[in-house]
Amino acid sequence: MRRAIVTCLLLLGAACGGESATPGDTLRVGLVTPGSVADAAWNAGAFAGLEQLRDSLLVDISHVEARTPAEQEEALRSYAAQGYAIVFGHGFEFQQPAERVAAEFPNTVFAITSGQRVAGQVVPIVFRIHEATYLLGRMAGALTRTNTIGFLGGMELPPIVLGLRGWEEGARAENPAVDSRVTWLNSFDDAAAGKEATLAMLRLGVDQVHHNADAAALGAFSAVRETPGVLIYGANANQASLAPDRVAASAVIDLPRAMLLLTREVLAGEFVPKVESFGLESDVVRFELNDRMRDTLSTALVQRVMLARDSIIKGLLVVAGTPAP
Amino acid sequence: MSDDAILIGFGAATVRVATPLLLAALGETVSERGGVLNLGIEGAMLGGALGAAVGAAQGSAVVGLALAVAAGLVAALLLAAVSVWGRADQIIAGTAVTLAAVGVTGLVAQRTFGSAGAGLELATLQPVEVPLLGAIPVVGPVLFRQSLLTYLGYLLIPLTWWLLYRTRFGLELRASGEAPTSARAAGVAVRWRRTAGALLGGALAGLGGASLVLAQVGTFTEKMTAGRGFIAIAIVVLGRWHPGGVALAALLFGAATALQYLVQASGLGGVPWQLLLALPYLLALVALASAVGRARAPAGLARDDQEES
Repeated sequence: MRRAIVTCLLLLGAACGGESATPGDTLRVGLVTPGSVADAAWNAGAFAGLEQLRDSLLVDISHVEARTPAEQEEALRSYAAQGYAIVFGHGFEFQQPAERVAAEFPNTVFAITSGQRVAGQVVPIVFRIHEATYLLGRMAGALTRTNTIGFLGGMELPPIVLGLRGWEEGARAENPAVDSRVTWLNSFDDAAAGKEATLAMLRLGVDQVHHNADAAALGAFSAVRETPGVLIYGANANQASLAPDRVAASAVIDLPRAMLLLTREVLAGEFVPKVESFGLESDVVRFELNDRMRDTLSTALVQRVMLARDSIIKGLLVVAGTPAP
Repeated sequence: MSDDAILIGFGAATVRVATPLLLAALGETVSERGGVLNLGIEGAMLGGALGAAVGAAQGSAVVGLALAVAAGLVAALLLAAVSVWGRADQIIAGTAVTLAAVGVTGLVAQRTFGSAGAGLELATLQPVEVPLLGAIPVVGPVLFRQSLLTYLGYLLIPLTWWLLYRTRFGLELRASGEAPTSARAAGVAVRWRRTAGALLGGALAGLGGASLVLAQVGTFTEKMTAGRGFIAIAIVVLGRWHPGGVALAALLFGAATALQYLVQASGLGGVPWQLLLALPYLLALVALASAVGRARAPAGLARDDQEES
């Protein structure tokens, strides 16, 4: 634990939450996040998942925040060296550090969210977020009056581009003539930039907005709230509360559920290294309508979207953003 | 949408984006004229943003402004204590202040707002239209339908000029920045002048951070200043340490930023977004390169007050 604590101290003001693990027979699970767990989005979800593991599976948990590649590798190594059974590296950037560390620690499972490939005990947890954003796009394509939809992206990372493709594909399925605008911020923190970028899109006629920019996207919600006639679609969590009358639906990733499913496998001794892929069928990736807006939507549209959802789950409809297996 | 509406939208966005930069850069101008290069300005802005959010969460934007100024003052006081009085290197001290501010604001924000964050229900400063001036076509809605902090920025341009060039304090401050040893020989309390300049700079940086929260987005997120403090320092250089030049440079940055959002949003293919995002910085480089012959920093900038300049 000492190394983890030192890592913690090195990170000014990092939230070193979670209980430190105590040696014993209980399974120990560690989580390394690339940023603060107070982001109400990506990292917060993972930390909530860790707490659920403690509460429902009675495992010992520990968490550290590690921002730079060197710190990230060190944090993974430190958990593995202490005999942690599962270490979650929360983000695709943990794939390579985990592969370097894993060779030395064959008894530890390294689960990398949005990871790229299986390598020994390193397994990627892949979210097929595009299945849910496709459904958001179907709604946006049907509801736009200006034939223009907009997407605000934090950075052009592969999982974010995947969600964007699903959103565009869904919109075109409803409305082949729809025009898609995309703005990249190169930041997940700059909410003021998120707002100005969104306002620029709204001024140019965008009336349906989706995003994947974590905290910076608060600016998008702020912009939509002050512009009449515009709808916004939440990402990664149900974001209806940010604009109760303007959020039509959200594409949700239930990180706690994914972490629970994987940890159960390890606990039961059934774990086999493979790509842990979660889509709509697993209920880890979900499409959630805003209940407050449901009455304002046409029944026909909601039925169409739900039918598409069922088709995706049954494998009858494949959203093309799907990466090759 | 008509061309006029797009032009007005672009102009208003330029002024909104420029406001926090203008406030912080005017403050940094005063600070640097006194010889204190404040790399802690990014931290002061971040502290100001958090102070504004914490105050606004109590239901009042005015309390937010007061806390923002206080946070900016604390950051500047730290820098002044260590580098002016303790004679530590300004660059290192300023960097430390900014790094500390990133950590402390994150911690305080988590304690204050919890994992749900500050939300979007904070009290804010809505745009106020200036009577008569606001009715001028195009110019009115661009310049005179803004928040009170923008108007404060307008007022501070001549005020800063007056302070620097028309008051005894300004003269002594500039002397402390240009030639501290000579100034001391002439009876100027150099360290006190430098401290005062740094504190003024900190207060204005705090207000700059506050404008992000109260006049723009209406919430606080960790690291939300995203380097604006460092941009403000570049703006001071670009504006050649003169309030008028600084104001123009802040507007240039605002315009370049607003323009790149507009170009990205217009969906014109072919231009990589990375290049668009770099536009404000590329413009600054070009402007700096073309102004380099004439630009000169205060001779005692970032130097100890005992050093011969």
